[in-house]
Amino acid sequence: MNYHASSVGATRYVGERTPRKEDGRLLTGRGQFTDDIQLPGMLHIAFVRSPVARGRIVSIDMGVAREMPGVQAIYTQADLAAIPVQMLSFFFTPIESPVTLLADGRVACVGDPVCMVIAESRAQAEDAAALIELEIDEETPLVTIADAKTGALVHPDKDDNIAAEMGDEDMLEEAIQPLLDKAPHVVTHTIRHQRIAQSPMECRACVASPEGSGEMTVWMGCQSPHLAARYVAHALGMPQESIRVIAKDVGGGFGLKNIPWREEVAVVVAARLFGRPLKWIEDRFEALTASSHAREQEVTLTIGLDDEGKLLAGWSDYACNNGAWPMGEDANIAVHMFMWPAYKLPAYGFVTRGWYTNTMGLGGYRGPWAMESLIRETTLDKAARKMGVDPVELRRKNLIYLPDQPVTSNMGIEVTDITPGECLEKLVANVDIAAFRREQAEARKEGRYLGMGIATYIEPTGSAGAMQPMTGETVQLRIEPTGKIVAMLSTHSQGHGTATTMAQVIADRLGVAYEDISIFEGDSAIGAFSPGAAGSRQGVIAGGATWKATEMLAEKVKAVAAHLSNASVDAVTIDGGMVHVEGAPEMSRSLKELAEIAYGEPARLPEGMASGLEAQFRYQPPPMTMTSAAHCCVVEVDAETGFVKILRWVSAEDCGTVINPGVVEGQIAGGLAQAIGQVLLEDMPYDARGNPLAATFKDYLMPTISDVPDFEYLHANTPSQTIGGMRGVGEGGAIIGPPTLVNAIADALAPFGELGGEAGEVTLPLTPSRILDVIEQRNVSGHQAPAEKAVAAPVAEEVPAETVAVSPETEPAPATASIDGDWDMTLKAPMGGQTFLAHFDTEGTSLSGYLSAPEGRQEFSGGTFEDGRMKFEVKVDKPMKVTLKYDLQATADSITGKCKMGMFGTAKVNAVRA
Amino acid sequence: MKPAPFDYARPTNVAEACQILAEAGGGATVIAGGQTLMPLLNLRMSQPFILVDINGIADLKGVSRIDGGTRVGPATRQAEALRDSTLAQHLPALVTALGHVGHYQTRNRGTVGGSVSLGEPAAEMPAAAVALGASIEITSAQGTRMVKAEDFYIGPYMTVLEPEDLVTGIVYPDWPDGHVVLFREVAQRTGDFALVGMVGALVLEGGKVARAGIAWFGMGPTPIKARQAEAALIGKALAEIDPDAVAALAVADTAPFDDHHASAEYRRTVGKRIFARTLREALDLRSAA
Amino acid sequence: MSEHKIDLTVNGHRHSATVEARTSLGEFLREGLGYTGTHLACEHGVCGACTVRVDGVAMRSCLMLAVQANGSEITTVEGLAKPDGTLHRVQQALKDNFGLQCGFCTPGVAITLATVLEDNPSATTEEMETAMSGHICRCTGYQGIRRAIRQLAGEAA
Repeated sequence: MNYHASSVGATRYVGERTPRKEDGRLLTGRGQFTDDIQLPGMLHIAFVRSPVARGRIVSIDMGVAREMPGVQAIYTQADLAAIPVQMLSFFFTPIESPVTLLADGRVACVGDPVCMVIAESRAQAEDAAALIELEIDEETPLVTIADAKTGALVHPDKDDNIAAEMGDEDMLEEAIQPLLDKAPHVVTHTIRHQRIAQSPMECRACVASPEGSGEMTVWMGCQSPHLAARYVAHALGMPQESIRVIAKDVGGGFGLKNIPWREEVAVVVAARLFGRPLKWIEDRFEALTASSHAREQEVTLTIGLDDEGKLLAGWSDYACNNGAWPMGEDANIAVHMFMWPAYKLPAYGFVTRGWYTNTMGLGGYRGPWAMESLIRETTLDKAARKMGVDPVELRRKNLIYLPDQPVTSNMGIEVTDITPGECLEKLVANVDIAAFRREQAEARKEGRYLGMGIATYIEPTGSAGAMQPMTGETVQLRIEPTGKIVAMLSTHSQGHGTATTMAQVIADRLGVAYEDISIFEGDSAIGAFSPGAAGSRQGVIAGGATWKATEMLAEKVKAVAAHLSNASVDAVTIDGGMVHVEGAPEMSRSLKELAEIAYGEPARLPEGMASGLEAQFRYQPPPMTMTSAAHCCVVEVDAETGFVKILRWVSAEDCGTVINPGVVEGQIAGGLAQAIGQVLLEDMPYDARGNPLAATFKDYLMPTISDVPDFEYLHANTPSQTIGGMRGVGEGGAIIGPPTLVNAIADALAPFGELGGEAGEVTLPLTPSRILDVIEQRNVSGHQAPAEKAVAAPVAEEVPAETVAVSPETEPAPATASIDGDWDMTLKAPMGGQTFLAHFDTEGTSLSGYLSAPEGRQEFSGGTFEDGRMKFEVKVDKPMKVTLKYDLQATADSITGKCKMGMFGTAKVNAVRA
Repeated sequence: MKPAPFDYARPTNVAEACQILAEAGGGATVIAGGQTLMPLLNLRMSQPFILVDINGIADLKGVSRIDGGTRVGPATRQAEALRDSTLAQHLPALVTALGHVGHYQTRNRGTVGGSVSLGEPAAEMPAAAVALGASIEITSAQGTRMVKAEDFYIGPYMTVLEPEDLVTGIVYPDWPDGHVVLFREVAQRTGDFALVGMVGALVLEGGKVARAGIAWFGMGPTPIKARQAEAALIGKALAEIDPDAVAALAVADTAPFDDHHASAEYRRTVGKRIFARTLREALDLRSAA
Repeated sequence: MSEHKIDLTVNGHRHSATVEARTSLGEFLREGLGYTGTHLACEHGVCGACTVRVDGVAMRSCLMLAVQANGSEITTVEGLAKPDGTLHRVQQALKDNFGLQCGFCTPGVAITLATVLEDNPSATTEEMETAMSGHICRCTGYQGIRRAIRQLAGEAA
């Protein structure tokens, strides 16, 4: 689709650097952020949080605190439990950990909220909170992933500390290792990624005002008021209409504010209990230590290559720290799904696990699966150095270009229009690599160490229809009788500028002035459901919805004008808010004149046409739209101090139709700055007692203006298959930035040795100390990889320590028992456990039956049943087309085993007699 | 993140301030610019009963020449000191160091005395006071005493100040015109406290080092005077000085620590390098002149 | 705990109020006087979002007590544009160059740059960037802010 070919008016808005509609209010201090809300009778909340990482609450003494000036109430979980709450993940599946709004008998991390103080001011609430005495029977915490593998259970009712698990361990031996054994070149690389505090400039915030009978207006710092309203309604079991969430301006989200979490929901519950408007404004200390964190993970990737540099096989072992209370248990399956669709890799396998620990829970952060690009691109560069080949050439041999498509990735993802190869070529054409290599060689002679890093990637964006809550967007649009345009959108901007880009689409498609368009969003009472800013989707889906709705409205305007002028619709054009009839300039009318007729004199409209000038469209785009990019950066490493200076950064991205280059480049730049922070500065470490060590911005170092270079942009503009041709661009910078920068640093350090040593274990951030480890070839940083670290002594307490790294295999049972009949079966899937009824019928060794859940029933046949081993396949269409391959072992009263779920890897299966 | 409640007093002269401090019996804290104290108050890490604001005491502001030195009023804003012509002439090392204190916005409010008396071990002002041989003038209801900067600091954020004490002046001895300024700081971002830094001055007479004052910051629990290095430099002709050897002596006096920003070994390694480089560059420049 | 009567001028408007000693200037401007354009984002003096101009000097309003502002003249972001709505040239430059996204850090950024230019209308790019290093922006990667600075310094953005 080429938007120029079907232009409506003469004035182009799509593709222009149109100034943002949001800026006027934000630049003059007239935005409306949650903390700006003041309501009559509003009270303020402060939370009392656990100072220890793990233990049993022995007592909570609130006697003195209750007598403090201004204190109206102090709640514990026992009080909030009066309103039942089921906390949910982003996918609206139940949280599997026993999470409650406030701690329920036990604390599992420092910062765990224990009490809620309601007072007349925040200062008074803090005064009282400081006087509440918590007695906690402290236990030894599990802090690291290594601790989780050997330590006592974080949640005593769970079987193990594995929060989520996918992948097929057997595949290594059966399929991958034989290929690696035959590969002439095998490279293994490990990355340990530090914990990140998302740190939007506005901390979390919530004001809840109970109104009428059971209704509630909530102002919340969120990424979608619609999603927040639906979440709260589901969690509390209320009708969605009873909750209105307003979020006019939000000071950044970055995934942290994807869903309301314990504190926000607690404010809503407390407001219902107390019957007064309540405000909680998270302070920065809470934000750093007690907001969900992100990214702490370890991954090892092994790849085999042939002598030409072609990839033969890959295997990775991935683990991420879920903390105690993740916003959804997560093994990060997306890392594996999106590691290879841009590359030709014939065989790939993995195991992937999320681990519970006594640290703050895992939350979302821009490009949550970004590790796929970081580990893949750094491993490829390491392979290139080892094999003595140019990293660009190595990528050329393996990348997918447009002529290679359609092609299906090793994880079953079909790619039809990705351009990672083309982006790389565009990048290479605009960066004189040969000249850089000469400069690098000269500089090395002077003791200056320059490095260039290149990375390529693809990114899934605009996901819709495959899983809750990722779906389409609705746009309601009208030309008012004044001739001005009003649009009601389900979008939300935490800086994304959706009012700007959507108004550009309307102005472009309708032929009206940008200034005559008013956009309304940021309120669950406006528009229809949408998950807002999540998964780089708004430009793609809301853009497409707006595009189509506007064209529908333009068609109606033309039909009315044609009818009034007795002309052909084809002869009507709209430009600058005027409607013209070809060859009849005297027939030109303003939109205002037409609107007055359309609303006020319906008899003059074509027969059967509805009055007014309105359009509504809900756009359901293709399930996924891919964005591609290649980036290059140049650094200089100071060998004396280990400091890295970024000299140049070039981005060649393909996000299809660019609505506003200023907005698109702003998204890329913001992600890249966060990437620079991740690689060089930011770190939220914990000490052995489970205390977070970066509790202020003095210790949590985010990039400042002097840490970020000028970015250069190349746009490839290959339209996607969506209406309008957009591709998402919200997360890409944060995904491709880290490998680009790490590769540049590794290149600069190559004269000294491999970054991460010969063992190839790179730990982020690359602090000056760690850089000196490579330059000096000795342990300057004092850093020891967790693998070498002495494991914390097992805790002497009632919960038995249990080794859980490998789940014990069930002994094959005598297979004489019949399995016929109904079973309650649980499948531990990536988006949470799924429970359903399984019915089996056997006849000799042949097996048939059905799986039944409220959403539907799938029959199967053609399975086998031999010696207790059950094998059968079930084809499902939702959430994606995938064949589920079950391989189970049955005894008389239990069934255990695995289910291979295509790209979703392998899930554990358990069943008991129904 | 709101402070615990406190009373507030704004005395207009030193005697009044000292009386309030004495009467508070240890429960008072002095606020000048507040750029270090206010975060501690907001985080409730400092919870005084009364805050004594010295911004209303005119005597505590400004830079003046005294016999053999320069006196800086503790409530002098860092930004004003940075622009002060007397300091530029007599204490260029102090002015160089001031340029690295915090940011534009905090220098506009923060004071020289606040930074000197709070004793952050990685801050520039305490180290400059130690290096340049400053004395801290301390006044209480009992009277006034002078304490050498090198004796003033006893630990991180710990000084010899008693709760009833008020810093009423920082007196820097004169360094003759044309002395050599030494300054280098390694910090992760502009305006951050140093991972490691050094500041100092050398006086050359007849081609030899006649006087040396050098101190580290970020290299231990307090600013640390590089005594061995100073001793090794004094009396040496420029050509005789081995910057690497002097730097090794300088590092020998330090006691750096590990944190998640940098290891102790990093601080020692890089400290030695920046010390040697700074010395070499300064001396090369002087030899060439 | 003590309360104090203060008089001050904000954006040309005179205000009198009684404040608790512990109330920061930033909190007082927002909650006491309704100048909610000033944003408190860290309350420990690192991020710069709360920067206001006090007696002609840019400073952190979270690191100053309201009682200390007695008798002061204060400019907040609401006071930068002309009464007729014409943006201050700093605001215009930020708008022209996509210098903001979520807008939470922006009030402090605008006050700092406006104050640097107030002191020295021909301030250089370097002077403005140095002052800007006292602000954290999590959205823009500083690209638009840097272009705005260049525009303000009369260079090609």
